[in-house]
Amino acid sequence: MSRSPLILSNISKSFAGVAALRDVSLEVKEGEIHALLGENGAGKSTLMNVASGTLQPDSGTIEINGEIITALTPHLATSHGLAIVHQHPAVLPDLSIEENIRISVPEEFLLTEGSPAATMRKILDDFGFTANIKDRVETLTIAQQHLLDLAKAFAVNPRVLILDEPTAPLGQESVEILFDRVKKIAKSGTSVVYITHRLAEVRELADRVTVLRDGKWRGVKDIADISDDEIMTLIVGRELESTFPPKHGIKSTDKQFFKVADISGADFQNVSLTANKGEIVGIAGVVGNGQSQLLRAIAGLDKFSGAIEISGEPISSKQLLNKAAYMPSDRHGEGLMMTLSVRENAAVNALSKFTSGLFVSRKTETNVVHASLQSLEVKAPSMDADVSALSGGNQQKIVMSRSLLAEPVLIIADEPTQGVDVGARAEIYKILREVAEKGIPVIVNSSDAKELEGLCDRVYVMSRGHVVSTLEGEDITETKIVAAAVSSTKLKKEEGPTVSERVLRTRKLLRSDFLPPIVLTGMITLLGLFIFSRNNLYFGSYNINAVLGLGTGLGFIALGQTIVLMTGGIDLSVGPASGVLLVVGSFFVNDGKSLPIIIIGFLLMFVVAVLIGIVNGSLIRFAKFTPVAGTLTVYIALIGIGYLLRPAPGGYINATVTDALLAKIGPIPYTFIILAGAAVLFEVLLRRTGWGVRLRASGSNEESARRLGININRTIIGAYIASALFAAVGSVIIMGLIGLGDPAQGTSYTLQSITAVVLGGTSLLGGRGSFIGSLLGSVLMVQVLNACVFLNLSQTWQYMFQGLLIVFAAISYSLTRSGGKK
Amino acid sequence: MSTTQIREVKRSARMQVSRGMKTVLAGVIFLYIASAIFAPTSISRVAQMGMLPFAACLAIVGLGQTLVIQQGGIDLSVAGSVSLFVVIVTWGPDRHDDRLIPAVLAAFAAAIITGLINGALVTKTKLNSIVATLGVNSLLYGVMMALSGGSPRRTTDRLSHFTNNKTFGLQHSVYYGIICAVILTILLKRTVIGRRFEAVGANPRAALATGLKVGRYQIGAYVAAQIFYCIAGVILGGVISQPTAYQGDEFVLPSVAVVVLGGTSLLGGRGFPAASALAALFLKQLDMFVLSLGVPYGVRTIVISISLMLGIALYAVNWKAVRSKFGAKGRELQAA
Repeated sequence: MSRSPLILSNISKSFAGVAALRDVSLEVKEGEIHALLGENGAGKSTLMNVASGTLQPDSGTIEINGEIITALTPHLATSHGLAIVHQHPAVLPDLSIEENIRISVPEEFLLTEGSPAATMRKILDDFGFTANIKDRVETLTIAQQHLLDLAKAFAVNPRVLILDEPTAPLGQESVEILFDRVKKIAKSGTSVVYITHRLAEVRELADRVTVLRDGKWRGVKDIADISDDEIMTLIVGRELESTFPPKHGIKSTDKQFFKVADISGADFQNVSLTANKGEIVGIAGVVGNGQSQLLRAIAGLDKFSGAIEISGEPISSKQLLNKAAYMPSDRHGEGLMMTLSVRENAAVNALSKFTSGLFVSRKTETNVVHASLQSLEVKAPSMDADVSALSGGNQQKIVMSRSLLAEPVLIIADEPTQGVDVGARAEIYKILREVAEKGIPVIVNSSDAKELEGLCDRVYVMSRGHVVSTLEGEDITETKIVAAAVSSTKLKKEEGPTVSERVLRTRKLLRSDFLPPIVLTGMITLLGLFIFSRNNLYFGSYNINAVLGLGTGLGFIALGQTIVLMTGGIDLSVGPASGVLLVVGSFFVNDGKSLPIIIIGFLLMFVVAVLIGIVNGSLIRFAKFTPVAGTLTVYIALIGIGYLLRPAPGGYINATVTDALLAKIGPIPYTFIILAGAAVLFEVLLRRTGWGVRLRASGSNEESARRLGININRTIIGAYIASALFAAVGSVIIMGLIGLGDPAQGTSYTLQSITAVVLGGTSLLGGRGSFIGSLLGSVLMVQVLNACVFLNLSQTWQYMFQGLLIVFAAISYSLTRSGGKK
Repeated sequence: MSTTQIREVKRSARMQVSRGMKTVLAGVIFLYIASAIFAPTSISRVAQMGMLPFAACLAIVGLGQTLVIQQGGIDLSVAGSVSLFVVIVTWGPDRHDDRLIPAVLAAFAAAIITGLINGALVTKTKLNSIVATLGVNSLLYGVMMALSGGSPRRTTDRLSHFTNNKTFGLQHSVYYGIICAVILTILLKRTVIGRRFEAVGANPRAALATGLKVGRYQIGAYVAAQIFYCIAGVILGGVISQPTAYQGDEFVLPSVAVVVLGGTSLLGGRGFPAASALAALFLKQLDMFVLSLGVPYGVRTIVISISLMLGIALYAVNWKAVRSKFGAKGRELQAA
């Protein structure tokens, strides 16, 4: 019998002192489907992140294909034939489906059907995927993005395939296709690790099952030898901890004190809940079945249809937003202002209660907040400590303190004990119970069924956006909750196209990178014709030459700026950089200097440019400056260096060189032709090469790009170097135009280049853009300035046109891109 | 067990001095000492009287920029705004004192409108603040050119007195700078609106989730910023007897620099207006100091850039991590 392709032995892993995995082992045999089961937080995903090299274990060994690997990285895992599909798809939204496939799937796997295009079509068709491979991933639904991620993993024909809850976002049809594929690939010899919550899926697919609980290994069994009940016992296992406060004993006279009547939203349908006074309502279900969205709607944050009543009074969404206290599950992203202090966080909603006269009374505030923190038993070094310095449990208590100080009419807690240690959990339960006793309805969503069993008086189990079971009193047990959640046969609504083919096509055109260049060309032509109708000297060769000449210098600098903006950064230093480089050149490229000296001068300009790029990139990537701060300091330094080298303009440029730079063919400068060639070349490089894809990937979603094995630091620092090199080319052009070294030249190019790039349709958010657009943007900028001269308009109009152009271009691009997005 | 731990929640300090404030204050003191030793002329009465009004104007512009940066934005329309406001208060009255008040009111009205446009572009149409304020900056220059044609006019006597008269030997303009910084600090740290403004800047998503009207605070930042630029513009119109039409140009990047030096993060959140204002004094005195040393403009600029870099590094680099890394190594070396 051959050696198992994946063997994990005695793996342990802790996060900040909390053990996520303790001595866990897993052996996956060749060609088997191995189900990995356990509750949320049992350690399944952590174990698979260890297996795929995303996380390094604290101890234990990883053996892939008989080879023990000490330091596994995602890249190494891939090269050993291991593929993983995470719960959150690792896709790059600004890139096309084709590019996303190319990043993960090596060329050799793309030739099975002849051409790569045909192979990709086959890969997608096999998953019932109809979208065009040229479409951007951001236009896909979440389910389709998952399918894409799955398709990529299957396409490399891996030896070990890890699927982390693959069916959660999928519709029934896709689920069947997936099951079919999983069975086939296993038959062909691939080992599959299948993480799931649903027992039905385990029965249908798995050969063996391993169960984890609380980071510990609970057992491994052949699926034929174990019943559903036995699996449940392994999953649930532990006894009810005595950390829960006693439930609401007395049957309240105030029945249906809180009522949610038949509300529906985007991700949940026809949900009705009621609670008597003093009760805690639990929302249960496998994560991602509409629970969080339901809570957000009840908190007034999302739209819903239907009615909500508290103590007989209907309450609107707007009122809920003001009067209900929402405790989000994403504590860092949405719950707290992490950079502010404990006191500031706790007080923020209740501040108006602490005022005396115009001002917030420091005394009242500290007293009230202190009392609240004490009653919640918050452990913090001081009230002025940053809330980020607290443990998860204490952070959650700050959220509670803030909520309670605002005297809410309703408390909505999403996963209130996620990332909270056991001791603090008990205290949080106690607080919630006390709040409920005071007559404030409390709704708790939790993926931990044990927690709901201990805490709640009434539990609603959700599946695929519907309430599938309501449990009360003695019926609230973990087993019943889990059973209701995992055995539900409710199907997710298949997401289908709801808009016509024509609307879709228009949308695609509006969001295309090629729209801005088309629009710009139109504008340049129309503006040109308009000016010509007023002044027939406009198309004279002298003027065309002047406009294109000025546009060329700006154009090169703008191409560099485009590269940086594509990564989501910004390079403010390009202007002064071109000034300094011009000054550097002006010491060497003079009349009477020998050719080697002149060549050295040009080389030196490019060497200095590389240095400038390295400094910019390093400040941003290594010293963690924001791009604005980093390139701003370099901007100021470069101005200084420019003036230091040449305090006043001087150093006349070699006439042969300037003549060469100003040479033209008809009215068109040669340099402009080179610029146009460069723009086209880089446009092609951007779309066709690994460099272009890496560049856009880093700007599109840094985290996904990292997971896909892209070296972010190298890509981004490279972008700043490229930007500085383009500034060097720009300074050579300026050299020809002004004919001497002047440190003051150049600074204005910073803002002009950003303007030109924005006109060209490149997004400042990163991930997408167009070099041809930036080129046309530069030409349009120069043309507008020139137009005012020809139309006898004052400088006022130059500024006005520029301003209006930027604002309207930016607004229209921003609108067309968001148009039709959900 | 719990009772002992409850007591560990210490009370809030009555007065808090931010790290940015401490850093900048130490920098200013150090700089003045260095000035006294190496370039005494730079702290002469004449030099200081010449420098302080401009430091005050930069400080006030910096206060406005602080507010925008607190909301995670950046305001490049400073150049156009300050230029426009200077033109309105000097060009409009044309040396007639009786026309000054209407001109100043017009400037403030223009400021509020500009702020609303900036704010709406950023929050409603979701434009990047750099792009939006860059565009608005061009429009402001357009308006400024339409009004003045680009040629300057002398300031009015009344405005000149308003800014240049002295109390206790210091020009009033300097006091205006101090008053603005104090008022903004109190507004931010002691009022409900100010406190919530910081919270929105620190985490707009969380602010939204707690029910705060995030958009209003963000637009408010741009409007308030313009009001500060306008105050600075009016003062500048009095301080300089014959201002140019492009008086605002020299404020854009320094205004961002003083905010960063003062310790306000470009990522938004808590703001330190007083530290920004003091950083303006630091930059201007640094300029004066290096100037008195007789070094060329280039060196002055490099010195400013280096001080800015050090200032940012102080906040951006995780020194705790660096210390523990090298600290541990150091101890190992000692042990060995």
